[in-house]
Amino acid sequence: MAVRAARVGPIGPERLRRAQAFVVAALLALAVWQLATFISDGWVPSLAEIATAFAEDVTTPSVYAEIWITFKRILIAFAGATSVGIALGVAMGLSRRITAFFRPIVVLGLAIPDPVYIIVAILVLGTDESSGLIAMILALIPFVVNIVVSGVRSRDRGLDEMSSVYRLGRRRYLIDVVARQVAPALIAAIRTCFAFSWKLVVLVEALTQPRGIGAQIYLSFRLLSPEHMIALALIFILVLRAVEALVFAPVERRVLAWMR
Amino acid sequence: MRREDAVTLGPPGTRDYIRVEGLRVSYDRENTAIEDLDMVVGKGEFVAVLGPSGCGKSTLLHVMAGLLRPDAGRIDIGGRPAGGAANGESPRIGYVFQDHRLLPWRTVGQNLSTVLRAAEVNPEEIEERIDRYLGMLHVERFRDTWPMRLSGGQRQRVSIARALAVHPAVVLMDEPFSTLDEVTARLMRQQLAELWQESGQTIVFVTHSIREALFLADRIYILTRGPARVFDVVTVPLDRPRGYEDPRLTELEGQIVARVMEVWGYGAVDVPPDREG
Repeated sequence: MAVRAARVGPIGPERLRRAQAFVVAALLALAVWQLATFISDGWVPSLAEIATAFAEDVTTPSVYAEIWITFKRILIAFAGATSVGIALGVAMGLSRRITAFFRPIVVLGLAIPDPVYIIVAILVLGTDESSGLIAMILALIPFVVNIVVSGVRSRDRGLDEMSSVYRLGRRRYLIDVVARQVAPALIAAIRTCFAFSWKLVVLVEALTQPRGIGAQIYLSFRLLSPEHMIALALIFILVLRAVEALVFAPVERRVLAWMR
Repeated sequence: MRREDAVTLGPPGTRDYIRVEGLRVSYDRENTAIEDLDMVVGKGEFVAVLGPSGCGKSTLLHVMAGLLRPDAGRIDIGGRPAGGAANGESPRIGYVFQDHRLLPWRTVGQNLSTVLRAAEVNPEEIEERIDRYLGMLHVERFRDTWPMRLSGGQRQRVSIARALAVHPAVVLMDEPFSTLDEVTARLMRQQLAELWQESGQTIVFVTHSIREALFLADRIYILTRGPARVFDVVTVPLDRPRGYEDPRLTELEGQIVARVMEVWGYGAVDVPPDREG
């Protein structure tokens, strides 16, 4: 009886403990926020003000138009950075010569602060939409490359030998052997890229664009309305979390099904 | 060991389906793995390559499979030069590695179909071959199972099925049972012996176990400690089926142990006086 209790028992309480920890952390964060409201002499909006602004923004149809504009920009930057980053990362992971050529560029790319890309792109290409997108793609590529190269390098060389003995060919080797081994790293790279895209796009929109969530957040800043800045950011975070849960998580579950 | 002993020393056979001539392989200027190695294997023959750990046995298989280029010498299989896996002209190889090397993200059936598609086998025949070879190795019920869900022995069975399914000119086996527990390893050896008799496949089997080599092979190439050279070629005078605990096999094992003691580097070991007799 004791053995059975020990086997079955931990599953329930463990989940409960995790839920408790989450609730405690959330309540603590809200309490700290509210405390900051009291001691900041009104410059930090109260939880009630944020909730009111959130309800107001979430029921405003034009906010969704802004979200869609920002979302399209994220998708373009994300698609550009992941496709170039994955291709370059795989090539560098497989070839020492290609690594020797691109490594210094990638290292330099990682060291440059993101706003520098945006400012230089604005100076060179002007403030139209393409300059921001190019800046974002250039800023994101080194991150993707770095993660993918590590994944490709740590692949099982025994499977390389198997592929060679059974003559899988270049295409099958890349798809069936390399890509599948690198899949966890690829998914990590895609998620990182998606998260960074959002942070950068807000900055680009705030600096250069009249439309998009970033532009609206900057507008709220100019109107000295921090509760709307936070409410807009919260709405967009919820949208991105929904995309994560509805798109990335099922893909990850499917691709990594063999691990479970 | 004299030729009159139960183990007869044979000259390299007259059947030369696989011919290895003057093979030399070195990792770098100072480390030579194989030195001037000659070997012949007849079609349908089961040949074991026996040597101490690290002597260069696996390197020999790597060169045969085209995974390594030799510095000198050549290998012909079925009259065609081996050693260029990427070259469609070179003979097809089935390889059973020490570990299974199955794609963990492909089911058992998909692992076989992947190599069969690469071998340009037509789709109907792919299905037929998967059924046949998984059945032959008694793992047909795992066709839709991930390799991770299988035991070590079952994975190695799938690996052998994969090697046979491509209808190779030769199956190279690199200590395939060395990571298995003894009971499973014995069962696998037994099944491999039966499978070889059924299929008539040419097999080159690398091992450091004298008993395993005697149990499985028609002939045994005994190599020296690295760099690997052929020390002796032994024809196993036992009928099949053989028993792993057969007293004659034990006797042959003793003869070979006595013979290789010195050349494998154990003859010169000094026994401290206090441990003598």
